[in-house]
Amino acid sequence: MDGAHDMGGVAWSGPVQPEPNEPPFHAEWERRAFALTLAMAMPGGWNIDMSRFAREDRPPQQYLGMSYYQIWLAGLERLMLARNLVSPDEIEAGKPLHPAKPVAKTLTPEGVAGMLHRGGPTERKATSPALFAVGDRVRAKMINPPTHTRLPRYVRGHIGAVERVVGFHVFPDSNAIGAGENPQWLYTVTFDGRELWGNDSDPNLKVSVDAWEPYLERA
Amino acid sequence: LPDGTDIRVWDSTAEIRYLVLPLRPEGTDGWSEQRLADLVTRDSMIGTGLPKQPHEIA
Repeated sequence: MDGAHDMGGVAWSGPVQPEPNEPPFHAEWERRAFALTLAMAMPGGWNIDMSRFAREDRPPQQYLGMSYYQIWLAGLERLMLARNLVSPDEIEAGKPLHPAKPVAKTLTPEGVAGMLHRGGPTERKATSPALFAVGDRVRAKMINPPTHTRLPRYVRGHIGAVERVVGFHVFPDSNAIGAGENPQWLYTVTFDGRELWGNDSDPNLKVSVDAWEPYLERA
Repeated sequence: LPDGTDIRVWDSTAEIRYLVLPLRPEGTDGWSEQRLADLVTRDSMIGTGLPKQPHEIA
């Protein structure tokens, strides 16, 4: 979807201002929000693309007014509400008010290290040959789906070159809407800075994105 | 940046993540791993800065 999360290539956010000795978390509740989000994926049954969409799918003024972990918490609440794992009055009260809904699997403290070690690999066995090869000129399609996509707006409609065939990977646009993993070929596509930003761009600038095959057409 | 320096921006839009190898400063031949590690900065590992020079950690 088009939204405030898709910030690549905009100048209004200003330069990044790194915080000296930035801690992983700025408050204890952030640590808990992060842990809860990771832990709830197992009983909740959602995947990373569904949880990304749950975070980004909100009005821009709301999205931009929230901190990073406020967005994570809001996304988790939405995912849990949609599956009746929590109710609005419980969120309001900040504690359980109803019997917990039975779930098939839960993450135990002993299982955390294994879960983190496994990570979330997305590469799958290829079932079709790749349509594009290194060096091919491709155009990023002009698409504006109302659902999750990982094709940044700033490359849509622009022509680049395939720099690397990365592999065959889960397609987030399908996975986010529960339409299955639908794995696709993934490419690194590199654009000239002037193609994206005009002739005022630095002539030595190149911008690369990782784009799944359905995002691309031959140019 | 000096003329002729390529600027590469990598937008990690998929699950692939990238690590930048800091450009090894001149005058560090024969340095131990630990001494070299002292030159490495956060920015030099994400490609937005150069590592420290040897005189900066002397």
